[in-house]
Amino acid sequence: MDVSFAITGKGYVILAADTTAAHSILKVKLDEDKIKELSPHLAMAYSGEPGDTVQFAEYVERNIRLYQIRNLYPLRPASAASWIRRSLADSLRSRKPYSVNLLLGGYDTNTHTPHLYWMDYLGTLTEVPFGAHGYGSYFALSLLDRYHDPEAPLEEGLAVLRRCIDEVAKRLIVAQPKYKVKVIDKDGVREIEF
Amino acid sequence: MSIMDYNGGSVIAMVGKDCVAIASDLRLGVQSLSIASDFQKIFPVTDRIFVGLPGLATDVTTLHEQFRYRVNMYTIKEEREIEPEAFTALVSSTLYEKRFGPYFIEPVIAGMQKLPNGGYAPFIAGTDVIGCINFAKDLIVAGTASEKLFGVAEGLWEPDLEADDLFETISQSLLNAVDRDAYSGWGAIVHVITKDKVVTRTLKGRMD
Amino acid sequence: MATGGGAYSYSLTVFSPSGKLVQIEHALAAVSQGTTSLATNGIVIATEKKTSSLLIDDSMIERVAVVCPNIGIVYSGMGPDFRILVTKARKSAQAYWKVHGEYPPTKVLTQEIANIMQQATQSGGVRPYGVSLLVAGWDINRGPTLYQVDPSGSFWAWKASAIGKNMVNAKTFLEKRYNDDISLEDAIHTALLTLKEGFEGQMTEKTIEIGVVTVPSPAELEVGKVEGTGRFKATFRKLTEEEVRDYLSL
Repeated sequence: MDVSFAITGKGYVILAADTTAAHSILKVKLDEDKIKELSPHLAMAYSGEPGDTVQFAEYVERNIRLYQIRNLYPLRPASAASWIRRSLADSLRSRKPYSVNLLLGGYDTNTHTPHLYWMDYLGTLTEVPFGAHGYGSYFALSLLDRYHDPEAPLEEGLAVLRRCIDEVAKRLIVAQPKYKVKVIDKDGVREIEF
Repeated sequence: MSIMDYNGGSVIAMVGKDCVAIASDLRLGVQSLSIASDFQKIFPVTDRIFVGLPGLATDVTTLHEQFRYRVNMYTIKEEREIEPEAFTALVSSTLYEKRFGPYFIEPVIAGMQKLPNGGYAPFIAGTDVIGCINFAKDLIVAGTASEKLFGVAEGLWEPDLEADDLFETISQSLLNAVDRDAYSGWGAIVHVITKDKVVTRTLKGRMD
Repeated sequence: MATGGGAYSYSLTVFSPSGKLVQIEHALAAVSQGTTSLATNGIVIATEKKTSSLLIDDSMIERVAVVCPNIGIVYSGMGPDFRILVTKARKSAQAYWKVHGEYPPTKVLTQEIANIMQQATQSGGVRPYGVSLLVAGWDINRGPTLYQVDPSGSFWAWKASAIGKNMVNAKTFLEKRYNDDISLEDAIHTALLTLKEGFEGQMTEKTIEIGVVTVPSPAELEVGKVEGTGRFKATFRKLTEEEVRDYLSL
């Protein structure tokens, strides 16, 4: 029942994910952070099998950190996406694959461009202007086809995100009460109260 | 619902007179939900060889990386560019390595092969998911729209088409076939390869 | 510590203070005691095959080996070591064929053999191969080529060369006789004449072996694969005893 969205705009990427931790039909936690900050300019919204998600996100986080310690500079978004994809693709054909879907947002400090990658548990990777996972994707993608603007300033981007969240709240039978929203831009990753 | 149809996508290759063409759609989907309209399935191997990889999207990327690695190693070791026939054998053996847990891809290879007399001849080939090679003289189709592609392409293709006519033939074949396929479409890309240049064109298609 | 080698000969992996690996030098010494083998113009390889007794059936002895349809090798040094290398080279050529659908270029196969020989100079529990090789072959991108491989694993290309007991004289002889464009027939005769220098005993079809690389004509290349076989015409072959006899009687 996880819902996550991501939108790029002028010099930024917005990641949004619901904060519900569910056990069967029960909500056991309402302030779960499902967006991992991987490095100063890189963050990842994850969803999927509970347990796998946190385990895999931490595995990625630590490897990205290790790269930075070894090389004294962080992995750029495209390279990080490629590395994470390969981890998932290898995992897919292992004895116990991770079922984790990701939206990877980053700001490339070399080219000064925002990047957003859509990735699923199979290891399918593609760069997108906007993306979504979970039931929310059926509502959000068509909304974003209509309203997304790659040149929109942050306020407009957040307004479009509001439309998506409202639409899901209105039409999905299991509406998510709360979302965590993080923005990645030239200043790094920061959380926004929404 | 076959795993081969999960992400959708189609590739076609055709032989012309002193040229070959290879084309694909650009859709990436998850079953009936479309995710991206710029997902490349055709990749350059050398200046004269392209490989199309329709099938499961994760394997498109994995195999592309695998082929890039193996071709680079070949180029360094042999101090020469790989020829289409040897590359096809490489594709075949790479796929057969995973005989009992295959990559869900049916590759299509198109290129100009060097002749002993210094000239070039068009070459196309396709394989199944475990690397059984199909050397065709006319055309190769693969992907979710393969049946439709066969129908249209067999009707439009004729021997010894010049590069411009081949471009028109392959483009119309692809565009019209993917319009009848729910899993393919969302734009297309066409490469026409001749002995000394490659012309690449991105086509607009129906975006529904 | 065994005698002769001195304090630095006990392990392959230990350099002597002067920077030498003495075991490898000993291997080279084993080669220089071996019978002479030579090659000229990258297309003919020849060797003498001597037997220690009249009673040995010399039809069994093979000193020129076909590795794959376009490559052959000849050796000087230890016969058993050569046999192992031939087996490995043939396997390597078949492995290459399985991946690429064609046989390896001469340089690539030579590199594979050289790698095998190099590994024996750095691994534990083994000794270097006691052979030097002459590898001759033809391929589409380099044409006819000739390489020498030493026990150290180093390899390089020759226009013509000799290895084994009589190599110094043979090489001097080849230097005098060599020219860039001679026919296959003339090259075979040059090889025979070179072999004759310092040949002990009678030179007959029983006491020498010849392998030749034939460069395909443009017409043959045009035809490509031989009808019905799916293979290209072989470019390396050994001369039969009859053919050798004919060349010797000329």
